[in-house]
Amino acid sequence: MITAQGLYKRYGAKTAVDHLTFEVRPGMVTGFLGPNGAGKSTTMRLMLDLDNGGGETLFDGRKFGTIAHPMREIGAVLESKAFHPTRTARNHLRMLAAGSGIPFHRVDEVLEFVGLTEVKNKKPKNFSLGMAQRLGLAQALLGDPQTLILDEPANGLDPSGIHWLRTVLKSLADQGRTIFVSSHLLPEMALMADQLVVIGRGTMIYNGDVDGFVRDFTQSTVLVRSPQAAQLAELLRRVDGVTVDDVPVDARAVVTVEGADAPVATPAPSPALRVSGIETAAIGELAFQNNILLHELATQTASLETAFITATGASEEYVAHDVPGVADAAPQPATPQAGPPAAPPVPPSQPGDTTPGGAA
Amino acid sequence: MSSALRFEWVRLRTLRSTYWLIGIGLLLTTAIAFGVAFATRNDLITAEDAGIIVTGGAELAPFLAIFLAIIGIFATGHEYRHGTIQPTLTAIPQRTRLLLAKVLMVAITAAVITVVSVAINIGLGSLYWQNAPDLGAEPLSEVIPGYVVFVVLYAILGVALGQLFRGVPSALVILLVVPLIVETLIAALSLWSALDWLQPALKFLPFSAGARLIATGPYDANGGPEFDFLGRWESGGVFAAFVAIILAVGWYLFKKRDA
Repeated sequence: MITAQGLYKRYGAKTAVDHLTFEVRPGMVTGFLGPNGAGKSTTMRLMLDLDNGGGETLFDGRKFGTIAHPMREIGAVLESKAFHPTRTARNHLRMLAAGSGIPFHRVDEVLEFVGLTEVKNKKPKNFSLGMAQRLGLAQALLGDPQTLILDEPANGLDPSGIHWLRTVLKSLADQGRTIFVSSHLLPEMALMADQLVVIGRGTMIYNGDVDGFVRDFTQSTVLVRSPQAAQLAELLRRVDGVTVDDVPVDARAVVTVEGADAPVATPAPSPALRVSGIETAAIGELAFQNNILLHELATQTASLETAFITATGASEEYVAHDVPGVADAAPQPATPQAGPPAAPPVPPSQPGDTTPGGAA
Repeated sequence: MSSALRFEWVRLRTLRSTYWLIGIGLLLTTAIAFGVAFATRNDLITAEDAGIIVTGGAELAPFLAIFLAIIGIFATGHEYRHGTIQPTLTAIPQRTRLLLAKVLMVAITAAVITVVSVAINIGLGSLYWQNAPDLGAEPLSEVIPGYVVFVVLYAILGVALGQLFRGVPSALVILLVVPLIVETLIAALSLWSALDWLQPALKFLPFSAGARLIATGPYDANGGPEFDFLGRWESGGVFAAFVAIILAVGWYLFKKRDA
């Protein structure tokens, strides 16, 4: 269990981390999410006493600096290539093991576990980012710690590496360990995390479970197509709390029909409405009662990605500009193209089923 | 503390530059000792020549001291150059303990290597000495321990400079430029009568004072500024105080700053 209380850090006039308070509970993976420059790394550095700042972080009630051999209790990796370029992977870990009273045979175990056995006696200066990340994870697991703090561990891993990392972190969490892992990529977190701490510009945006994040930052909308869309819109607008938007007619509905000499317009799709604040069933009923013909009636749930953009959109530190002309293509909440559905619900493991033991 | 020392021991011996620097240092000092011993094989050995042979020419160019100071700079500077300070501090978060372990491990290494070097040099000298100089009489009885203290202080200075500048290049520049250029320049400036008020301060120039630890004879102006150094060990104290100040500032900033 990690308890962070009022974490605060300022660089000159700029507040990097603004009084963050959160808990990271054992038995699950807690994702730490935010756009680039949101203060994720600084927060982690504050937690580990690497940076001076305000606030306090307790690991099972103790401050980091008071733990005798922190590597045996907290495995942390903040930078992906934090090793001497000519000291072998094995020696790098042996050095840290020596500093933490960890037996050297544990070094070979963790290297085997992360799949670096073949290169353990090689100089890491030629390691790819993915290999460096694996070495970082080996370093974090060296002391068989109850708590893991990882900054962007999936960065640079290939898809199978990411899958492996996800499985590893989930199984470590299932053993009752506390896992705090940062990322700026949503899909990654969606598949990995049970809980989320989302920050933007150093301030808390959301702290809770993944589904709740989607609920809070997306509004499910209903897409309705009807030849009598205008009439239906009139009726819907009279209902309390309902908002109705006309969906612009898609210009790309013109398709080329095979065999025809010229592009032929298919029968124009009926006008569409995007409705929020009302269930699909209620819309259907309303239409039925008023003799309105419906061509389509569909609920659209925003993806986690959309929720993330909605939540952090106002807080991005470095805003890039859209390519002129395609600015409208920026993701809108709940567009049909909005990507995969929200994260599959992950059954939170019971905090009681802690199984202390080897990570490997 | 013992974990921090073990950490430093593994860190030091898993770095190839440690072996290179010690190897080249020993090679150069041995070569100088051999050259001088061979060249003076038919002469009656003087204390000056014996001093040069025993210390491998440290009075002329302190190779071993410089190379061990570089090992010292790497002990702290590498942590920042390669970003390993983060994993290091997550293993040993007590910064004072970590820096102390670095100082101790580098100092012990420097002392051991210097003793080995002196033993090699005496062995080489004895191959050619017709009548061996009395190592138990002054000045050699003081030059030999003085030489060990001299190299150890240089090595600790390296650790302190690497920590102060949190990197390798600036620390290297200070280590090489101050004794070679800055102190020589100040001594030269004091020769002008307008600047002769500098002369009383010359004995406090740290590297010049430190060199008195390995001096076989009294300071000879030889056209340079006329002044008297403090005694051998007092001058060593001046150098040690300088090293202590750099180390204290480095330590204070290490405690205070973000890692």
